[in-house]
Amino acid sequence: MLLEVRDLHVEFRTRDGVAKAVNGVSYAVDEGETLAVLGESGSGKSVTAQAVMGILDTPPGRITGGQILFEGRDLLRLKEEERRRIRGADMAMIFQDALSALNPVVSVGDQLGEMFVVHRGMSKKDARARAVELMERVRIPGAAQRVRDYPHQFSGGMRQRIMIAMALALEPALVIADEPTTALDVTVQAQVMDLLAELQREYRMGLILITHDLGVVADVADRIAVMYAGRIVESAPVRDLYKAPAHPYTRGLLDSIPRLDQKGQELYAIKGLPPNLMNIPPGCAFHPRCPMAQDVCRTDEPALYAVSPARGSACHFWRECLHGPEQ
Amino acid sequence: MAPSSEPILQVSGLVKHYPLTRGVLFRKQIGAVRAVDGVDFTLGRGETLGVVGESGCGKSTVAKLLCNLERPTAGAIRFKGEDITRLSGRALKAVRRNIQMVFQDPYTSLNPRMTVGDIVGEPYDIHPEAAPKGDRRRRVQELLDVVGLNPEYVNRYPHQFSGGQRQRIGIARGLALRPEVIVADEPVSALDVSVQAQVINLLDRLQSEFDLSYVFIAHDLSIVRHISDRVGVMYLGRIMETGRDAEIYDHPTHPYTQALLSAVPVPDPEARDRRERIILAGDVPSPTNIPSGCRFRTRCWKARERCVVEVPALAVPEAFRGGTGSAVHDSACHFAEELRVVPAQGAAEGPAQGVAEENGSGPG
Amino acid sequence: MPEQPYEPERAIAGTGMGGAMDLAASEATTLEPAPAGPLGTGPVGKPRSLWSDAWRDLRRNPVFLLCALVIVFLVFVSLWPSAIASGSPLTCDLARSQDGPGPGAPFGYDGQGCNVYTRTVYGARTSVTVGVLATLGVSVLGSVLGGLAGYFGGVWDAILSRITDIFFAIPVVLGGLVLLSVVTSNTVWPVIGFMVLLGWPQISRIARGSVITAKQHDYVQAARALGASDTRILLRHIAPNAVAPVIVVATIALGTYIALEATLSYLGVGLKPPSVSWGIDISAASPYIRNAPHALLWPSGALAVTVLAFIMLGDAVRDALDPKLR
Repeated sequence: MLLEVRDLHVEFRTRDGVAKAVNGVSYAVDEGETLAVLGESGSGKSVTAQAVMGILDTPPGRITGGQILFEGRDLLRLKEEERRRIRGADMAMIFQDALSALNPVVSVGDQLGEMFVVHRGMSKKDARARAVELMERVRIPGAAQRVRDYPHQFSGGMRQRIMIAMALALEPALVIADEPTTALDVTVQAQVMDLLAELQREYRMGLILITHDLGVVADVADRIAVMYAGRIVESAPVRDLYKAPAHPYTRGLLDSIPRLDQKGQELYAIKGLPPNLMNIPPGCAFHPRCPMAQDVCRTDEPALYAVSPARGSACHFWRECLHGPEQ
Repeated sequence: MAPSSEPILQVSGLVKHYPLTRGVLFRKQIGAVRAVDGVDFTLGRGETLGVVGESGCGKSTVAKLLCNLERPTAGAIRFKGEDITRLSGRALKAVRRNIQMVFQDPYTSLNPRMTVGDIVGEPYDIHPEAAPKGDRRRRVQELLDVVGLNPEYVNRYPHQFSGGQRQRIGIARGLALRPEVIVADEPVSALDVSVQAQVINLLDRLQSEFDLSYVFIAHDLSIVRHISDRVGVMYLGRIMETGRDAEIYDHPTHPYTQALLSAVPVPDPEARDRRERIILAGDVPSPTNIPSGCRFRTRCWKARERCVVEVPALAVPEAFRGGTGSAVHDSACHFAEELRVVPAQGAAEGPAQGVAEENGSGPG
Repeated sequence: MPEQPYEPERAIAGTGMGGAMDLAASEATTLEPAPAGPLGTGPVGKPRSLWSDAWRDLRRNPVFLLCALVIVFLVFVSLWPSAIASGSPLTCDLARSQDGPGPGAPFGYDGQGCNVYTRTVYGARTSVTVGVLATLGVSVLGSVLGGLAGYFGGVWDAILSRITDIFFAIPVVLGGLVLLSVVTSNTVWPVIGFMVLLGWPQISRIARGSVITAKQHDYVQAARALGASDTRILLRHIAPNAVAPVIVVATIALGTYIALEATLSYLGVGLKPPSVSWGIDISAASPYIRNAPHALLWPSGALAVTVLAFIMLGDAVRDALDPKLR
């Protein structure tokens, strides 16, 4: 296994109390595999990724338990110096907002080249040549001329390509993409996702795709982990999950998106609001919003039950949900 | 509702150019951002018109023009036959009661230093004739109830609510004056998926309850289809194709619409292999420098000589004229032809393409 | 709703928040009673507004109460100095020059043999008057001009921006030397006038910037779509959201104005003896800091406490006006 997160717990200490952002998350990615982590805001999907990358702000954040095994080594036991060497070279991150993730006063060529200068000890000239190569690789037209341009001179889609080029510069084994196409228009989104998928196949990277968009997930992911209130509520191969969700939250999400191919009746809406992380409901965190909730859901926190060897659902009634009333 | 019903809003030749100037005291115009560049549509009573397009296509400017937040450079917006773009003072204030807006960002559309009661009640302060003074508080609480919020929340401040709840507060404010038209500019795009559905259902319910007509502006094509009776697809300040929802989604004839629809990620992994994506080359040109002829030609795979010199009109294309069926609708393309690009979800179906010539008359 | 509790708040608004705020505060007081009338007994209790909530908050804030107490005391001393100090600040006895504390003179005597306690008490009037009035004038002029320029933009904004640039180029002390040396009147008014003249561009620039920020929010567009007038948008939507930086800068400026009065008096162009002010006393005592530190300590201490009280009060008011911090 390339990356294995085991029982990770992250808290945030704020003025008003302790927010439990991640409460025992476990997932794994193999090389060449795409794992989509799906969740709404506050589900803990980005915090988990930041913990894996080692870019969590501490304080206010604090990892209170768990392991992050990368190629067999527990990253949480490494010194900051060693983690820094891994970051960038062995694992890289693509952010949602490329404009703020790129330095506005350094040309894109220098920013790309810096990776080679710092991690590979290349000369400035060689690094510049590699930068042009990379820009061509992510299909930026006129790369040789544009290498001296600054981030604001590129369109949103082009900037996201530069972010991808930067992440892939040192051919890392693992790439984490946090909402990489959310800020982009549909037509550009398609270009960027295609590019990312193609490069992933080519380099056989493990890819963690963090998103809230069920459409994007269906298009590119192999496996999917659905997060709610800092826990994984369902984990499954992507086709199985869309065919028959085994958790009422996943089912609710799938039913609540309008369809492109036909005009529907009233949308199914999950009632209520996502929980306050400072005051997560006891038992199953989803029970106040769940149409299937029983007494046991209010008291007993469900474990991630094995639905099949490759599937898990954190619902006491996963069987009923899986075979449940037709959508 | 049929588009032929009594029009409540008629927009013709709407243009909004923002001058680009240079110099501090003595400004010199050096160009213009052509944000809206000739838009026509009508909105029937009780109807929902969806306007889709990518960022920078001018759809938000259209919303501002409809609500009189900006003055158009040219063109007319007729509300029940009266051109509202030339109004000012008292007459303008009166018209404003009838057209209200719901904003995209629930975090900046509510004044953080006003209580919810003050926010929803403000329309009555501005239009005292709309509600007698003693009755306002009851009305505010009623409105909160209508949009699904606890009426006891009047004394709370916006930051105490989640995004979805804030959007409900914004909708309650929009409803206070009992408008006939609501312009919603990306009303759910800032919300989480599970909350989006709640707000869309709310808008649906309010439409029948209050007999509202909607102009629904969004970039999410699935949501627009769900809520709209008719759809207009905008590109670089113009509507490229317009028609009933099934005409646009199932029988698009404009290449831009086809590319847009084919790019939408569909939440169905089975559709992955069946769909044919049209990947457009390049980026949207700058609205300061719009291509001659057809404005889409720089990214269009069908572009020919004629597209450079002749602006295609938004009308039923020559090829379909006199025909019948869903492909016969307004499309601003010289070489319009039908192409089905949206894969059917769930049930397996035939190849995505192959229905192109369904209506017999191909391009001349 | 009784009118009385609002009074201190309005006084505070007047010192720190400038003109637009002042109007907003009085609007709140006039609008407030209306809904509180027959419907005030509804299931939800009294309707609340930003201003009443802020006041509820302030009443429970110990920092605010302490600062308010200090300021009330200062105002009292400025109005009736004879209530706590006997004798005249101008009766001096050279024989007692630089003497330590004695009966009737708990703070000792300065170089001229004047009673430091009496002079510090009497000096409060000048310093508080100059500080409060200069800040008030600067804030009103600066926030009205800056706020209007920021809100309406266009040509007036361009002209105002150039004017503020010109004023920023004038060195304050040099300007004071030139302008005030031609004035013969030995009162606080020319000093205050000079400070307002040179101080407003600072507030104006800040007010303009924060109004432009506030203007871009969608809630301003929403109010406009409802048909709200410019006055209403400025008072209800923009002023409360743009006022925080103005309060902060104004309260800090208040301290610098008191200090500037001292500087100008020290240079001989501000107030001249026989006027009494902390500035005159500080400058007079500073050469003898080794022999008679008490003569310097008490007026400077009074100055420091005054400035601190206003700054912390400004801080408390700013926090109370931000619902997110409750």
